[in-house]
Amino acid sequence: MFGLWKRWKALEELGIMGINRRNADYVLKYNKRHLYPLVDDKIITKERAIESGINVPEMYGIISTEKEIDNLEKIIGERSDFVVKPAQGAGGDGILVVADRFEDRFRTVSGRIISLDEIQHQISSILTGLYSLGGLRDRALIEYRVVPDQIFKSISYEGVPDIRIIVLMGYPVMAMLRLPTRQSGGKANLHQGAIGVGVDLATGMTLGGTWLNNKISKHPDTTNAVDGVQLPNWKGFMTLAAGCYELCGLGYIGVDMVLDQDKGPLILELNARPGLNIQIANNSGLTLRAHAVEARLAELAKDGITESVEERVRFTQEAFAYMAPVQV
Amino acid sequence: MRSLNLHLKILILLTVSLGILITAYQIFILGIPLTSDETDDLWNIDAKVEFQASPREPVKLQMFVPPLNQDYVSLNESFISNNYGVSINRADGNRKATWSARRASGKQTIYYRLVLTKRYSGEQAKAKGPIFRDSLPVEGAEKIAAEALLAPIRQHSADVETFISETIKRVNNEADDNAKLLLGGDASTENKAKAVELLLSIAHVPMERVHTIRLAAEIQQDPELWLRSFNGEKWLYFNPVSGEQGLPSDRLVWWVGNDPLMNLEGGKQANVTFSLNNSEMNAIRLAKLTDESTDAGFLSYSLYGLPLQTQHNFQIMVMIPIGVLLILILRNLGGLQTLGTFTPVLIALAFRETGLGFGIVLFTFITALGLSLRSYLEHLKLQMLPRLSVVLTFVVVLIAVISLFSHKLGMDRGLSVALFPMVILTMTIERLSITWEERGAGHALKVGVGTLIAASLAHLLMTVPELVYFVFTFPAILLILVGFMLAMGRYRGYRLTELFRFNAFLKE
Repeated sequence: MFGLWKRWKALEELGIMGINRRNADYVLKYNKRHLYPLVDDKIITKERAIESGINVPEMYGIISTEKEIDNLEKIIGERSDFVVKPAQGAGGDGILVVADRFEDRFRTVSGRIISLDEIQHQISSILTGLYSLGGLRDRALIEYRVVPDQIFKSISYEGVPDIRIIVLMGYPVMAMLRLPTRQSGGKANLHQGAIGVGVDLATGMTLGGTWLNNKISKHPDTTNAVDGVQLPNWKGFMTLAAGCYELCGLGYIGVDMVLDQDKGPLILELNARPGLNIQIANNSGLTLRAHAVEARLAELAKDGITESVEERVRFTQEAFAYMAPVQV
Repeated sequence: MRSLNLHLKILILLTVSLGILITAYQIFILGIPLTSDETDDLWNIDAKVEFQASPREPVKLQMFVPPLNQDYVSLNESFISNNYGVSINRADGNRKATWSARRASGKQTIYYRLVLTKRYSGEQAKAKGPIFRDSLPVEGAEKIAAEALLAPIRQHSADVETFISETIKRVNNEADDNAKLLLGGDASTENKAKAVELLLSIAHVPMERVHTIRLAAEIQQDPELWLRSFNGEKWLYFNPVSGEQGLPSDRLVWWVGNDPLMNLEGGKQANVTFSLNNSEMNAIRLAKLTDESTDAGFLSYSLYGLPLQTQHNFQIMVMIPIGVLLILILRNLGGLQTLGTFTPVLIALAFRETGLGFGIVLFTFITALGLSLRSYLEHLKLQMLPRLSVVLTFVVVLIAVISLFSHKLGMDRGLSVALFPMVILTMTIERLSITWEERGAGHALKVGVGTLIAASLAHLLMTVPELVYFVFTFPAILLILVGFMLAMGRYRGYRLTELFRFNAFLKE
């Protein structure tokens, strides 16, 4: 009993955020329920992003009825690679990534050869709600295939690594790089077994990692060290993430982004209930940082100032820069 | 945010203090006991009268109600009827209630409810009764048979008491031709009573019919006929079939005389059903208060004022918030992962029917089979509604098969499974399989086991008899629970499991 109490105190000291606090103080307080559809439906997110000039993978087309499936060929056009995904899919289900085409056949990223008919069948399944959580009717989205930047080749196993930044009222408070593993099946979700690697907000340099609630320093599949990697275009990521507050109006979100080798940072999706393991990856508590941002907001509100995206990014980069433990 | 917090604090304070105040009032001012230990026989008797009212005719229903001048004392009596005027009148030691309405149509239901207990002290009223009566006219063969019967009865009896019991024995003797002739081939109790009366009247011994209700819970019964006679000092009661003397202590005299229980004008198909319930709590004091205290109005709004059947339901219902509270604690404080929020409570309710151990086995078995079916259906790529329907049908069939087998094997326990809510099972299977796909088998197993643990604990808690009594008697406790739940709504501390989840921070 005493041990538990000590644990409690120690975690509180470090400012580790628990689920109850996240829900009560952040998700319920800053995220208005009626705005959820903006982040639950990838098509709406994308449309809003395009309107506000935020970079997203280019949308080739939307298919929302069975009849529109006939338009698929027109939507694809001459393109040889594209992604088909359900607008309200969860956990990465139902996503079809086409990497190449031979005359009238297509090759998926995993090497399977499929025909146009099979793609159409997949879209039909998406429309009937096979991959949406509630089983409701859904829409299919056909978009640009992201080609991850070469920088990740050395530390990643397969799939597309992404970058998650937690944004509180437009202030990026914590970031991590999520690397798929053999266990996660190419998906970048931590609870499916992907690795989370903390990222220094100020520099974009990777820190230690977390895997299944433990701290790690090497990728379990490639055994390459995950720390000390400089993420390119870090400023771009930070600005992109910070701008998502204006985009969706939700005050506490996780922004998932990818680094495309041609197009740079792109927003994949937004999450209104971001997980808490990012804290282990960064070896740092969210509560302390969130309080710092809230204090800043209160201070600004007194003077009636609202900060621009650049100012917010500058503030958090200064406030939350990584400080290496002092060597004794 | 601050004002919201203040608002919440005031609300919590309000609900908790209201709950404490009402409960304290019940305990200290009304003196309602805290436990159900000191039990006394307290009987709730419900007579439910149903009939079909004739349209366009005034309805008048007369029914005898207990005269209440015997060993029992009434604590509360109520006449529950819609749109009927009620009046009570006493006549010849009976009480008769009259319900009347100018217009009624369709099926009518009227309740008469009596709460009574044995009288412990108090003077018994002096009994008074006739000791002589005229003979009933009797002719021909019957007269001869009656006299033939009476001769040996006179011989074998010493006083009125033995005379009457001897008469009853003779009339019930199936081998006796004279008795058979008197009964005329109709061996009903009513007819036997008639024959006994005839014989006694010839000997100028008075006799009355007494209609009684047996104070026994949960049996189907009609008023039972007894005979009584006054021997100059007290009433002697006889069973018209066995001749046994003395009214058993569990009999309540409903009415005396030859009239039928009920008399209905302006309606047909009248039918009375009696339901009795022996309260296991010492609600005796509670009920006494209902009669004595001036603010009885407050108590009549307690849950004990409901009809018996509804009371049983409410005893289950008031425990649901307790179960929900437990789930809340397990989830938000403990961090136990369960399937959905209230599924464990629903499963706990289902355990009431099956028993805990057997319920867990059944739940696991059916869910496991359902999951394998669900994973097979997954390959067929069906839409949600048809898929759910198939799983539900499968669950129903499975339950039918289990019931059948367990019945054949002589385990009637399995039959209770029929009441195991199958929709809950179906939804459990569906959600568990979604969890399985999204988060993997390990997580699904964890969630499934968590659900079972939560359901078992909730079941154990919800069936503690003392707790059921307490919450049912002091429902204001629920307000205190609401206060706690409101406070939990803004709890930001860690969950127990999080102390271990974030273990990595503590290792240096």
